[in-house]
Amino acid sequence: MTLTVLLPLALALLAAPAALLAGTLRTAYAAPVGTVFAALAALATLWGYLSGGGIVDIAWTPTWGLRFAVELDGLATLYALLATGIGFAVLVYSSRYVPLHLDHEARPASDAVRFYFFVLLFMGSMVGLAMAQDLILLFVFWDLTAIASYYLIGYDGHKEGSRASALMALLITGITAVLLLIGALFLYAAHGTFSIPELAGLVEPGPLLTGCGLLIAVAGLAKSAQAPFHFWLPRAMAAPTPVSAYLHSAAMVAAGVLLIGRVYPLLQQSEVLLDILLVFGVASMAVGGVLALTRNVLKQLLAYSTIAQYGFVVAMYGLGGPYGAGGAAFYVITHALAKSALFLTAGAVTEATGEDRLSKLGGLRKPLPLLAVASGAAAATLTSLPLTLGFFADEFFFAAALERGPLFAAFAVAFAATTLAYTWRFWSGVFLGGADGKAEAHSVPALLVAPVAALGGIALLGGIFTGPFESLAEAAGEVSFQAPTPLGASYRLEVLPEYLMALGAYALGVGLILSRPVWSWAALGFSRLGALAGPERLYVLTVHGLNVLSGSLHQLEIRNLRGRVTSVLLPTAVIVGAAVLATPATGAYQVGELRAEEVPLMMVLVGVAAASLATAFTRRHVTLALVFSSAGFALAVAYAFYGAPDVTLVAVLVEVVLALLYFATMKLIPYRTLRRQAAQPLLRPNRKIFVSAVAGIFAFVVVWGALSQPPAGQTVAEEYVRLTPEVHAEDVVTAILADFRGLDTLGEITVVAVVLLGVSTLLGRGITAAKAPSSADSVAGVATRAVARLLYLPTLIVAVAILVKGYTQTGDGFSAGVVAALGLMLRRLALGRGKTGGLPSARGAATIAFAGLLLALSVAAAPLFLGDAVLTHYPSPGSEPIYLGTLELITAVLFDVGIFFLVLGFSIGVVSVFAHTIADEEEYAGPQGYRKR
Amino acid sequence: MILLAALAVAVVFAAGTFLLLQRDLTRVVVGVILISNSAVLFIIAAGLVRGEAPIYPLPEEGLTGAGISDPLVQAMALTALIIGFSIAALLLAIIYRVYVTHRTVDLEEISAIEMRYAEALEAEEDPEEEELPAEEQDAEPEDAAETQEGAGER
Repeated sequence: MTLTVLLPLALALLAAPAALLAGTLRTAYAAPVGTVFAALAALATLWGYLSGGGIVDIAWTPTWGLRFAVELDGLATLYALLATGIGFAVLVYSSRYVPLHLDHEARPASDAVRFYFFVLLFMGSMVGLAMAQDLILLFVFWDLTAIASYYLIGYDGHKEGSRASALMALLITGITAVLLLIGALFLYAAHGTFSIPELAGLVEPGPLLTGCGLLIAVAGLAKSAQAPFHFWLPRAMAAPTPVSAYLHSAAMVAAGVLLIGRVYPLLQQSEVLLDILLVFGVASMAVGGVLALTRNVLKQLLAYSTIAQYGFVVAMYGLGGPYGAGGAAFYVITHALAKSALFLTAGAVTEATGEDRLSKLGGLRKPLPLLAVASGAAAATLTSLPLTLGFFADEFFFAAALERGPLFAAFAVAFAATTLAYTWRFWSGVFLGGADGKAEAHSVPALLVAPVAALGGIALLGGIFTGPFESLAEAAGEVSFQAPTPLGASYRLEVLPEYLMALGAYALGVGLILSRPVWSWAALGFSRLGALAGPERLYVLTVHGLNVLSGSLHQLEIRNLRGRVTSVLLPTAVIVGAAVLATPATGAYQVGELRAEEVPLMMVLVGVAAASLATAFTRRHVTLALVFSSAGFALAVAYAFYGAPDVTLVAVLVEVVLALLYFATMKLIPYRTLRRQAAQPLLRPNRKIFVSAVAGIFAFVVVWGALSQPPAGQTVAEEYVRLTPEVHAEDVVTAILADFRGLDTLGEITVVAVVLLGVSTLLGRGITAAKAPSSADSVAGVATRAVARLLYLPTLIVAVAILVKGYTQTGDGFSAGVVAALGLMLRRLALGRGKTGGLPSARGAATIAFAGLLLALSVAAAPLFLGDAVLTHYPSPGSEPIYLGTLELITAVLFDVGIFFLVLGFSIGVVSVFAHTIADEEEYAGPQGYRKR
Repeated sequence: MILLAALAVAVVFAAGTFLLLQRDLTRVVVGVILISNSAVLFIIAAGLVRGEAPIYPLPEEGLTGAGISDPLVQAMALTALIIGFSIAALLLAIIYRVYVTHRTVDLEEISAIEMRYAEALEAEEDPEEEELPAEEQDAEPEDAAETQEGAGER
């Protein structure tokens, strides 16, 4: 049973990659491979349906209640057959049309592969969408179709109009798709399932159903180009004709009514929702019908006709009842066949004459007789003439309207008459009349006519042998209506009210055609009004307004550094200030007791503050570096008094490397430039002092307030302290870093690795230059060299000791990494770039760093393969550790080793890049060259 | 002690802000370093209890009896320190890059050069650029930056 579902789905989904693969081998292979896949998928769908369909329901993300649930029921079969069958016809047509199109646009023939890929991607997503029974799965396929349609509508990406149209379609259908998601989530929150069949049994009429149903329905209506979301469809005609024929007759707009048909079991439980659907449908019939009567460009006329026709379908769903649900499905088949044929006709006509406007076309029945007959059949189907499939489509529409009342019956007749009028306008305008003063036609390739003939032929045959179409529509209607929907499509020799209505529609349609001069000004006026104040205008204004807003925000932010800082700090200050003012002051601030043993800490803090203040008054850069380093070292001492030896160790080491880097930067920037900076008077010093004083006061108030109110109750720290022995650690801080909050550390070391990449890129030459070691250029004296040699090995030993004992003593991977790096740097400084003192190259350092990152990441990810959570360490808590001598072997240490290598690589890499850049500069300008520049 | 810690944080922060407002980019970096220092100090000072280092064997009183310092803030401070260090290194590299492009590390001068260049770009009327579709004109700022490098080196 499962194969009947999975085979069509797999064939449809594999079509796009297969065509892409074939196309990369050779451009010409893409079309045949894609066409074969489409045909196979269509046959597989038919076979699956005739074998009784089937269900596949696999748990997807069980914790969220998501299921990969697909079923080949009547509704799915109908739309999957449309997508693959009409897809097949369109692909046959494209195999001739696309090369002509590319040639016409002066584009390389290899661009065709992209066309087939996205058409087939659309086909695959459409089949998936048709089968999906789970709202989230449905949403995924829904968005896939939107993505494919974006690339197809914007296929002529070199034209601005195409890009704008593609974006419009994507925005309208994409934003409304979010509404579908929201509706699905609300339903899930209320009923605990995303499955549509299950939801159908759970929902009850009420505000929740109305709200969710409306959200989902709006997504469908926008995709089906129903007023007021209709405006994207005429714009989307910028796409190549086969795309229009496929997407805008059988696939993309059909997806909208497919969604409505799929969730109809939910929608029909609410009278309000049905009425809303009816209103949307009637409005679209009116807007689409009237505007189709005014359009001059062939594809535009057809686009508005599509809007109106899907209005019929939506209105049928709104009318409800067996004729509504079953008839809607029947109407979709009829329309897809007829409309795709007419779109393909438009493409063939334009190809033959180079003209796409009705006013320039006429009399083509003589040069293109077969096309005229084939599209005539399609047009007859669309206008529901007897002996065509369309006749029954309108019969069911009339029947559904009659059940609702005479007013709706009158509406139905009027709109059917409009259909007749604009379809006649299209067909007669192209093929009838005199050819004088109209565009000349040359013959068209047979492959551009054959698909039209086939589609028209099926529509005609369907008018006589209605059985297969009727049973398919009944099966689809039953899925929507949740009850049998007998349609009874056969000609009867009696006077049915539906027949009378059809006759009335024909008469009214002929009247509309004949009286065109009387009403054409009104229709044109309506069209002008729509262009002036319609929804499209609103869309353009909104998009433009958003663009302007984003542009001005961007300007505000990037104009200059100070502006950027202000734009962040000022709102922060306002928010913080408001918060401070809103907090009652009594009891919020505490001076805190000053114990005798805290006096040293207090003195160090005074030192920190003094050193920091001193940076503000320092002129020379060298002095500045010394002063801010001293502030940093004082801080490190303060951390020690706070009982944080790990932090102290890292702070001291970081401060050393930072000072080194600062000196290196100063070496890179010529003395004169720095000197000029140092000598410059302060610009508006008072203002700067004022601003920083305000900032300081703000910081003071916030920090004081925050420190004064420690949260009451148990803290997570207690838990960490208690758990530390269980994870075989003694240093709680290291245990937190490597185990309890290892994910933070993972994020942090990733940042470090990225920064290393950034620095190497910015100082680009350092990482690629393979420098020959020059002779010893050390300036250090004999004593320094001796000390450096003496210190080198002990430094590395200390580093390793810090690393392996990190779990039991002060220190961890960070400090060990920096210590080791300092050892290497010391050698480089004292011994020069000789063969004993060379640092690893920047590339080598980057390799070390990324090897470390990789090690840490693998240690973090490895538990996944053992069925545990990320960052689980072994041996597990509480179990007996493995000893190597006195050394405990635990994976957390391995994680720390990764960090060690990363930090080592980072420190060496950054310093090395700076050092190499300095060397380059020196070679360029000579050791004394800076001053000359 | 609470008051004192808050004061120290505030002074470091104020000094950092003052440096951040300078024209000299190297001072701006020192400002950033100071501000991140003040943040780390704040995190450490926010520890709930203060005592000995949180390394086993612990003193009798444990965490609640203020025998040891709060280990959580220390772990956070370590993370903050390393990140701050990386950012400072990146900023220093950027300064060098800015110097190579503009031959100055003065914010006012850099702004002046950029303004001059923008004006020159607007004044320049290239007929070919007019015909470019909108999207390609969007890419202009990047081109501007590149030409800027050339201008700076001249």
